[in-house]
Amino acid sequence: MTFFMQILISGLVVGAVYALVAFGFVLIYKSSDVINFAQGEFLLVGAYIALSLVVFYQVPFPAAVALTLSMCVILGVVVERLVLRPFIGERVISVIMATIGLSLLMRGIIQMVWGTETRTFPGIFPDMPVRLGDVVVSQIYLWSLAVAVVLLVVFTVFFKYSSTGIVMRAAADDQVAALSMGISVKRIIAITWAIAAVVAAIGGILLGNINGVNPSLAYIGLMVLPVVILGGLDSVPGAVVGGFIIGILESLAGGYLDPLIGGGVKEVAPFAVLLLVLMVRPYGLFGKEIIERV
Amino acid sequence: MKKRGFWGLVVCLLVTVALVAAGCGGGTAPEGEKEIVIGGIIDMTGPTGDVGAPYHDGAKAYVEYVNSQGGLDGSKIKLDVIDYAYDMDKAQEAYNRLVKRTGVPAILGWGTGDTDALKGFVAQDEIPYISGSYSEYLTDITQSPYNFLVAASYTDQTRIALKWYYEQWGQDRAPKVAFVYNNTPFGTSHLEDAKAFAEELGFEVVADQIIDLRALDATTQMLNLKNSAADVAIIQGTSNMTATVLKDARKLGVETQFIGLNWAFDEKVVELAGAASEGYMGVVPFVFPGEDVPGMVDIKAYLDSKGKDFKDINQKFVQGWMSAMIMFEGVRLAGDDLTGPNIRAGLETMRDYSPAGLGAPVTFSDQSHRGTEYARIGQVLDGGITYLTDWISYK
Amino acid sequence: MRSRNPFVMDCGVFTTNYREDMAILHHPAAKLKVLTIAAVFLFLPFFVSPYYVSVANLIGIAIIGAIGLNILVGFTGQISIGHGAFMGVGAYTAGILTATLGWSFWIALPAGGLMAAVIGGLFGIPSLRLKGLYLAIATLAAQVIIEFGIVHWPALTRGPAGMVLPAPTIGGLVLNTDTSFYYLILTMTVAAIVFALNIFRTRAGRAFMAVRDRDLAASVMGINIFKYKVTAFALSAFYAGLAGALWGHNLGMISPEHFTIKVSILYLAMIIIGGLGSVMGAIYGACFMTLLPIVLRELADFFGGGFAGLTHAMLAMQEAVFGLLIILFLVFEPEGLAKMWRNIKDYFKLWPFSY
Repeated sequence: MTFFMQILISGLVVGAVYALVAFGFVLIYKSSDVINFAQGEFLLVGAYIALSLVVFYQVPFPAAVALTLSMCVILGVVVERLVLRPFIGERVISVIMATIGLSLLMRGIIQMVWGTETRTFPGIFPDMPVRLGDVVVSQIYLWSLAVAVVLLVVFTVFFKYSSTGIVMRAAADDQVAALSMGISVKRIIAITWAIAAVVAAIGGILLGNINGVNPSLAYIGLMVLPVVILGGLDSVPGAVVGGFIIGILESLAGGYLDPLIGGGVKEVAPFAVLLLVLMVRPYGLFGKEIIERV
Repeated sequence: MKKRGFWGLVVCLLVTVALVAAGCGGGTAPEGEKEIVIGGIIDMTGPTGDVGAPYHDGAKAYVEYVNSQGGLDGSKIKLDVIDYAYDMDKAQEAYNRLVKRTGVPAILGWGTGDTDALKGFVAQDEIPYISGSYSEYLTDITQSPYNFLVAASYTDQTRIALKWYYEQWGQDRAPKVAFVYNNTPFGTSHLEDAKAFAEELGFEVVADQIIDLRALDATTQMLNLKNSAADVAIIQGTSNMTATVLKDARKLGVETQFIGLNWAFDEKVVELAGAASEGYMGVVPFVFPGEDVPGMVDIKAYLDSKGKDFKDINQKFVQGWMSAMIMFEGVRLAGDDLTGPNIRAGLETMRDYSPAGLGAPVTFSDQSHRGTEYARIGQVLDGGITYLTDWISYK
Repeated sequence: MRSRNPFVMDCGVFTTNYREDMAILHHPAAKLKVLTIAAVFLFLPFFVSPYYVSVANLIGIAIIGAIGLNILVGFTGQISIGHGAFMGVGAYTAGILTATLGWSFWIALPAGGLMAAVIGGLFGIPSLRLKGLYLAIATLAAQVIIEFGIVHWPALTRGPAGMVLPAPTIGGLVLNTDTSFYYLILTMTVAAIVFALNIFRTRAGRAFMAVRDRDLAASVMGINIFKYKVTAFALSAFYAGLAGALWGHNLGMISPEHFTIKVSILYLAMIIIGGLGSVMGAIYGACFMTLLPIVLRELADFFGGGFAGLTHAMLAMQEAVFGLLIILFLVFEPEGLAKMWRNIKDYFKLWPFSY
């Protein structure tokens, strides 16, 4: 029983990390129908900026986080303006390829600035694990869980009550209609990218505290795609629920199937589920169903 | 818009072509002075770039240092390195570039996958090849007559660890061993022989735990390891993966003694895993920066000339330095006619050649290219690495 | 119609029957050009060093793979991020046949293609329900699952260690040098190009394009879209399988590390930069993407060679330039190199009276 609980809880907290990364995908897709394959690199940039501030400029951690986030706002806006703006309304394949190109470009620049060596944050989160009954969890994962929940609440409230949030939903729903209502869709998309970059940076800082920062951290960007699809590409709660489900699923597969067939199931299980989900419910658990009309 | 875009691209293309033309024209070395060029195929920007870059720096530093000391028997030496970003396609192209265009007589390589993929070409073109991988696949001299291993193979490293552990084992029952690794050629080359050796010694092999090199969480694997009640687990992986393993093992109270091989036991693991790395053991085939061995004097002299100190480098730097050292010793022994077969013959005359204490003395012959079967066992104590043994073998 | 004066450029196509209209090469001059190019490639190994021949081999393999992907993405409008894995299926099938079972390479090569086609068709089935992004992600799943399969079926694939493949033989001749392999690849590449050019003159080819342009409309016109989508996936994977099998036997060794998602993305980049929906585009793209890293490296060596400290930055910059070029192409010339080449030709054709 303890074994099961431990697996369940560790899956849950890993799922929270996935949810954090998945938020960025969802936000961007919601407002501009773009899947950002460079999300992992945004994460990396955030992690590296915060790390540089803390390690080289001796900025206290909370201040460093705040500074990082404001820099990422600028980064998001700049990237949107320079790279993504020309692709509004372009074919899906062009947009996918553009974000893949963006990810290569960013990775190159990141390596030029920070190199490939694994860098570490000086122990910001205590590394003593927390004991919940029989179950043990690392503190950093608990923090991720808390941050994911907070972000979920913030975004839900934001989209529901703030005027910017409502305008964003309108733009996502129908760009032409939004334009005719006097909404600047370009501005909305720029805001979205800024928010997505900020969310990615938060995720990056937390992830970077788990096991140091090096360029292969960006790989998690691809690994959360099943989460996003499962939850629904345009659903914020979907990202969290999808994250939890995939996290737990991985954990269960790793705990019970790995010993049976010799390991490695953990990485592939989400993608197998992904195929099934796509066959049965392509728009995911909470995604908006698109009905094609001629 | 359309028009401007078109001309913009045309101009870009023309500039590129012009630059290439310029690049091709100017690439030749100054004539007159004799320069010995050895090739390098190393990952500096890919998934293993974190350790590949310092390895490359170490090898390059050795070359620079030798040149600053008057060269190799008076000749300048050069290492022409191509970064292949752990990409098999690029590794093949890089190899062809070095061998068929630059015409290098020998190559310093890097990963298990690519070294293995290239070994057929290496044998065919007769290019001595010293890789950063010590995989068992390279030790069969009939299959890979031009691959040389400058450290104990991963299998031998495992055997050393197991043998040593077995000797320390005081209890009546058979010790249980588990293997923790990643599913790549690098991660699995030692398994088959190591397991056979373990059973021969009297171990009970209880579990295999596979962990992705990029994994941030290994809770399930560590739970299963705990269930298997392994007394000792051999880790073959990178520093990041090892740190994940150690942290999750500590979190879950896993009692197993972990022993890491070459790439899984270094300063980075201690830095990444912090307190969780306390007591962690490893097989150490190369010395760490700052250790008291003759070769460190040269490295210090080099670092001084650059205004750096031992803190700026790590063990991978030493490993690269030493690999280059052995390669150029082979080149020196090859005589004036620098061809692949001659360098091979040169390397094969090395008997107990000590790379100035940076690693175990190596011996090559025409029967075996396993440089050594010796390594030391180290342990993390109080956040630093302490040696538990001198250079030992499994025999 | 003939061009009477060899120095007069053609300025249009005039045909009087379907046969002429459907021709691939409209002018005698074009035929002459193709023959000249073919002759150049036929004698290439006699003029250049083995290194360039080996690069040409890589390009040839890339061309076959890229044409395959373009059939699917460019002509049928279905996205695939699993091309690398399909290459792996072909390479492993052929490899198991030649290395483990000792069959002839000449049977193993098409068998590799066919196996890849079967697996490709299988993963193409979701394309009936999925479009655009979702399909892209489904094929990404295919990539991950096939890679997993290769690693975890050691009885067949020897797992992560990979397998050593024998060199193909023809008669008594062993194709183990760059030059001998060059002719094998050249033959295969030409066959692949000719086959692809001809497909689009058939019912199937036209059906592919109809599906791409509007699948609902195509289905209304009586085209079985399921059949053609799956066929496109299978055909594309067949090409990938051939390319994979050739690459494996050229390298003499395959392992799961050869067929990662990086390969899939590289091939996508090839066809986008070369030109979607154009066989020539796939060829240009394959050449460009294979040569680009080499050229960038030579440039980095040339400019940064003197400064050791710059090496790492220069290397990282190559990746950045790679990404930047993809973006620039997409922004400025979404139809790729094929279109650029046409523009250049048109410009000189009409010069100096371009308006």
